[in-house]
Amino acid sequence: MKSKYTWMKRSLAAWLALVLMVPLLQAETWMRYQSRPGSKLKIEGTSTVHDWTVEGGIISGFMELESNFPLDSTAAVPESAKLNAKVEVVVPVKTLKSGKTLMDEVMMGAMNEEKFKQIQYKIESISIKTRKQGSAPEFEAKGSLTICGVTRPNSMSVTFEKVSDTRLKVTGETPLKMSDFGITPPAPAIGLGLIKTSDDVKVVFEWITALRK
Amino acid sequence: MKNEPTAELNRRSFLKGGSISTLMSLIGAVELKRETPAQEIAGVTIQAEPKVNCAVIGLGSWGREIVQTLSVLKDANVMAVCDPYPSSLRRGGAAAPKAEKLEDYRKILENKDIKAVVLATPSHKHREIAIEALSAGKHVYCEAPLAHTMEDARAIAQAARKAYKQVFQPGLQLRSDSQRHFLLGFIRAGAMGRPVMVRSQWHKKQSWRFASPNLDRERDLNWRLNRPTSSGLIGEIGIHQVDATSWYLNGNPVAVTGFGAVHHWRDGRDVPDTVQAIFEYPNDVNLMYDATLANSFDSAMDIFYGTDSAIMVREDKAWMFKEVDAPLLGWEVYAAKRSFYNETGIALVANATKLSAQGVAEQKAKDFTDTPLNSALAAFLVNSRLMGTAVEDFVANYGEDEEGLKEYLADMEKNKNPAAGYREGYEAAVSVIKANEAILGKRRIVLEPDWYDLG
Repeated sequence: MKSKYTWMKRSLAAWLALVLMVPLLQAETWMRYQSRPGSKLKIEGTSTVHDWTVEGGIISGFMELESNFPLDSTAAVPESAKLNAKVEVVVPVKTLKSGKTLMDEVMMGAMNEEKFKQIQYKIESISIKTRKQGSAPEFEAKGSLTICGVTRPNSMSVTFEKVSDTRLKVTGETPLKMSDFGITPPAPAIGLGLIKTSDDVKVVFEWITALRK
Repeated sequence: MKNEPTAELNRRSFLKGGSISTLMSLIGAVELKRETPAQEIAGVTIQAEPKVNCAVIGLGSWGREIVQTLSVLKDANVMAVCDPYPSSLRRGGAAAPKAEKLEDYRKILENKDIKAVVLATPSHKHREIAIEALSAGKHVYCEAPLAHTMEDARAIAQAARKAYKQVFQPGLQLRSDSQRHFLLGFIRAGAMGRPVMVRSQWHKKQSWRFASPNLDRERDLNWRLNRPTSSGLIGEIGIHQVDATSWYLNGNPVAVTGFGAVHHWRDGRDVPDTVQAIFEYPNDVNLMYDATLANSFDSAMDIFYGTDSAIMVREDKAWMFKEVDAPLLGWEVYAAKRSFYNETGIALVANATKLSAQGVAEQKAKDFTDTPLNSALAAFLVNSRLMGTAVEDFVANYGEDEEGLKEYLADMEKNKNPAAGYREGYEAAVSVIKANEAILGKRRIVLEPDWYDLG
């Protein structure tokens, strides 16, 4: 009898463990999105002579989202829910272009591209910021941004848009100060005057990713 | 060189010595001059882009001009020069002492370190080398005209279209010239009103013949003077002016009528030393073109006539002649605010502090630095480097993805320096090859839209 009882107890325990573990297993199903071509990155700045824009078309890296991540307006996830995401992004500095060779050379010099070849971003947490009826939620992403070898905490709003069954477009923007990353805003002396570049810039991006099967 | 056919018996240097611009401003012309770009920047650290390893194939007089121009360009590293003829090789290589001197161009194509090649061989030899260079993965600058036959020009342009990872630039150097781009803005903005007609000319007194030691060399050297290998004055010279007109008028000619004869250089040549051609453009605007090797009067120029004004272009200068009933334009208001122009004409310059640009003192163009060829080769090098690194960056981050790469490279276009592409090169070649046929046959040829179509 004892052995039968023990067996029952064990099987119950095993069953319970199984029942309890199923949601845990589900919760650990992650969707991995990999960088795909078609991304756009824009840095907008001003100076004493004119506004300027630098653009890049390469955003490399990956994103892993928990399977219950509320990607669209129909997702039934409470605003307070803790969301899990892993994001690591790399932008090669030399892919940033202004359309003018000389300005590119000034920019690469200011960013010390020879030494610091990448801009890196790593997420730490993400939460729902606002949610409007019928539209995808806006998120608040907190993470760390590394430019010119200097790592700073960063907080920005991002939205997700499914552009196809497997493709996801992540859109966001964040203001930055060049001096926070040890970059001296270039002040070239051209012609008769000194052009002063403003310290404040805005980074806007559209990151195209695709679900890895 | 005694036998240098470019030694001119003309008034050009006289005209350059006397100041055309002073004369023009006296008769009420408005000078149009681009801003001189800044060359140096103080106060910033610049990380210079790497030089582009390049080579020049074909070292005739124009090939030498190219080597000399590359030698002053900061983006160029001339690794090799090539010509099958030893004395041309020696002479052409002088401006690039570090470059390897090669007689066989295939050695250049085999060298993986050489990324870009400039092709300045006789036009009828472009096809083979250009296509081989493209398939060897090189960026190619191919002198204009692309070829002397439609078939060759088409084959080259199609190969260039296929090589989407590389730069292909025909030698239509005016398309890279900042002064021409500056003028284009005026014309497109309607500063001359509706286009009425265009007149272009190229007049020199020179033989176009090089002295040669034997018959074989004679044929190789004087390919311009034989019909089977030459597209004549209209093809070898006129192409630049015809292309500039097509560019400004924003369309290709729809028909061409030509005339030509050997008037002065009766040395056995069958290629006319004097040609006239009328190119019919859409909207009944015609270009009247003439070129001669028998008289140098008035040198080379282009005049674009519009209902409100005429714009005359001579070398790197241009003037606007306004009609009295022409409306006031915005830029005149801008120019009028400047305090140092004379009463008879408004000199328009973007860089108003430079009196030399006003024609007060004629500015002498520096050799090899302030020329359309310099701008065109600079654009070629910058664009080659841009395309090369773009392909590398893309593949390193996304792997092989042809569609994605094409999209990425298309987006990269906006970062390129202005330059002609294979399509412009082909269309210009079609216009002048057919014009040469019209000239030799003294007839009118309708330029079929199909001929411009690359398929």
